[in-house]
Amino acid sequence: MKRILVIDDEASITRGIKLNLEALGNYEVHQENHALAAVQTARECQPDLILLDVMMPDMDGGEVAAKLQEVPALKHIPIIFLTAIVSNAETHGRETTIGGHEFLAKPVDVATLAAAIETHLKRSRDSYWML
Amino acid sequence: MVLVVGVVDYVTGSEISVTLLYLAPICWSAWFANRNAGVFVAITCALTWLAVDQLDRASVGLPWVPVWNTLMLAGIFAVVAVILAALNNAKNNLEVTVAKRTAELQRAQLQLVEAARMETVGRMAAGVAHEVKNPLMTLGLAADYFLLRKPANADEAALLQDMKEAVQRASNIINLMLDFSKPRPLQLDPADLNALVEHSLGMVRHQLLKQRINVVLALQPELPTLALDRTRMEHVLINLFTNAAQAMPDGGTLTVRSRLQKASGTSTGTEAILDVEDTGSGIPAQHLSKIFEPFYTTKPPGQGTGLGLSIVQKILQIHGASITLGNRPEGGARATLTFKLQPIPQP
Repeated sequence: MKRILVIDDEASITRGIKLNLEALGNYEVHQENHALAAVQTARECQPDLILLDVMMPDMDGGEVAAKLQEVPALKHIPIIFLTAIVSNAETHGRETTIGGHEFLAKPVDVATLAAAIETHLKRSRDSYWML
Repeated sequence: MVLVVGVVDYVTGSEISVTLLYLAPICWSAWFANRNAGVFVAITCALTWLAVDQLDRASVGLPWVPVWNTLMLAGIFAVVAVILAALNNAKNNLEVTVAKRTAELQRAQLQLVEAARMETVGRMAAGVAHEVKNPLMTLGLAADYFLLRKPANADEAALLQDMKEAVQRASNIINLMLDFSKPRPLQLDPADLNALVEHSLGMVRHQLLKQRINVVLALQPELPTLALDRTRMEHVLINLFTNAAQAMPDGGTLTVRSRLQKASGTSTGTEAILDVEDTGSGIPAQHLSKIFEPFYTTKPPGQGTGLGLSIVQKILQIHGASITLGNRPEGGARATLTFKLQPIPQP
């Protein structure tokens, strides 16, 4: 069972992702709707992967990622950004990253999200074994 | 006019003030004709003045005088003609320069207005994207969840699938606005235009079959390779094929031709031309001049954003290519895409 932390100021989105991923059966999903509390929540639940919204009112996704990088126990956790202000054409068929992390254009369906999560978890496992 | 002044000069007895009247035809011809005409009239006036003066002298028995006075007068008249012609020339040049600068200013002003409009569209698109895509994601996730939980029957499954497609359609409209306002840089790769046409046709094959549209391909084999952004060029072609299909709701023929031709205005350059033709009802004349304007649509409400063709034009422009749209004499519309190729070196 892989632990996923979803950070988004929209509770309906974090709830939707949680219900869908948990329905798939392989994930335990934690939600956080306040960017300022994101680092603390990550410390507590120690996720295998973080889904992080880019545009949030208190602190944007980039700043949250930077704060997570400052914590040694959290800095290796893969992050997938979710953003509403890019179009699919901008991500189509190309490696798209923010600060080295992949991003997905909203609205993203569960199949795409689950595929991206699996790719990142596999990459993360491979790099662990290479250490 | 010179003759009239000569007669007046003779009748008034060669008064010095009357001599000034000769300036009238000189000024008129230099100003309204040109410098040479002014000089010619100036010499004619000087000779007329000489003739009148001699006649006058002869009538009162005075002796013949040298022509130095005439030469001096001819010189003065000619200088007046040249100065006036130069002034007129300067005035005309000034008018041309002012007209040119005014046109440049108007063009710059239009560009500023366009830039401001694009900035507004960009800001609006980013704002709308954030405010609309989040609720869309909520709706999409809910549909996904109920689909995962196995719908009770086929109708429920179809409803949920419709919901997902509606979310995607709404998202595509926002994406169009984002792409229009914030185009990403071109990713140019060597591309075969004919292959791109065939690939893009494959992507709309389902729609063409559904509408009973025949496809006729007349592609010139072995077209030179073009430097194109494939994703964007596919967007252009799919947009044109979809527009053509929408213009033929009761079926018809979609013809796509590619060919090479000599570039207009050069002796060595060549152009690759792509024609996309339909057999629909054509484009009404009043729409032709506005059809590339952003948010201008001829489709019923809810069926078009009015961004499709303006994006198509923009994509072609950044490739250095162009598009023209018109009606075919035999009926239907034709879009012609022109891609400039490198000039072929002459032996």
